[in-house]
Amino acid sequence: MSPPAPNLKPLLRAWLALLALTLLSLALAHWQQGASWLPLLVAGIIWLKGDLVARHFLESSRATPFIARLLRYFIAFTPLALIFTAFFGREFARWATL
Amino acid sequence: MLVPMTASSSLSLPEPLPPEPAAGTATGRIPGNKGIWVGITCEFVEFLVLFIVYFVARAHFPDAFEAGSERLSRIAGTTITLLMIGSSFCLACSVACIRVDARRQSLYWLLAALLLALGYPLAKVLEIQWNLAQGIDGNSGIFFTVYYYLTFNHLVHAMWGVLGMLWVLVRHLAGGYSAEEHSGLEALASYWHATDIIWLVIFPFFYVLT
Repeated sequence: MSPPAPNLKPLLRAWLALLALTLLSLALAHWQQGASWLPLLVAGIIWLKGDLVARHFLESSRATPFIARLLRYFIAFTPLALIFTAFFGREFARWATL
Repeated sequence: MLVPMTASSSLSLPEPLPPEPAAGTATGRIPGNKGIWVGITCEFVEFLVLFIVYFVARAHFPDAFEAGSERLSRIAGTTITLLMIGSSFCLACSVACIRVDARRQSLYWLLAALLLALGYPLAKVLEIQWNLAQGIDGNSGIFFTVYYYLTFNHLVHAMWGVLGMLWVLVRHLAGGYSAEEHSGLEALASYWHATDIIWLVIFPFFYVLT
C-alpha cells in the first residue's frame, strides 16, 4: 500500500508569499530609493518574512513556549531596531559613542 | 489501566502532530531535538550582537550605509535569498513527507534542498569576485567592513548546515528515518530555517536599504 500523500499546499503558499515579498523588496529598492518611509516598509517585510518561516516551516505555533518566544523576539528585534535607527539615528549614535 | 497490545495497535502508523496549544499554556513540542535548539539559541544571540554592531555603525555613518548598498550586486543578494528560501521550502517538504512515511519523496526533497543550498557558496564566490573587480574589499569603508563581517559569518553558518544536510542525506539513504523517528532530519531542518531567517534579515540590510 502506498503512503498517504503529504499536504504540501500550506508550505507552497508560504514559499510563494516569501518570493512575492522578496520581489516587493527589490521593487521598493529600485523605485523608492531614499524615501523616508522606506525603512518602515522594509521593517514590515522583514517581520512578515521571518514570521512566515517561523510559522509555516518551523511550526512555531506548535512549539514549546520557550521556542515560540525565542523566534517571536528574534524576528521582532531587527524591524524595531531598524525603525528606531531610521527615526532616532542621531540620538542613538550619541548614546552609543564610546 | 494497562491495555494489551493487539496486532493492529502494534502497526507503525505515523503520529499526528499535536494540535496548536491554546495561548498561554505550557505545552507544545520541540521541533527536532533539544540540542539543536541550544545551538539555534546561541546562533541567534551571536547574530543579535552582530546586528547591534550593524545598527551602531549605521547610526554613526548613515551616508556610508545609504551609498554603500548601491555599489553591491543586487543580483547576487537576490540569488542567495531565492536559494535560501527555496532550500528551506524543500527541507520543510522533506519533513512533511517523512511524517507520512513517504520516504522516497522525502529523500528527493532533501536532495533538492541540498542542491539549492550548494548554490549559496557558489553565488557568494561569484559575488566576491565581482566585488573585487569593482575594487570593493574589506578596507573599502565601514559599510563594506560590516557587510563582509556579517555575510561571511552567515556563510560559515550556512556551510555547517550544508554539512548537516550531507550527514542527514547519508542517514536517510541508509533508512535511518521513518514516520515514527525522524528527529535528526527535523533538527537539521530547524537549523536551516533559523539560518534562513537570519539571511532574510541580512538581505535588506545590504541590498535593499539605499
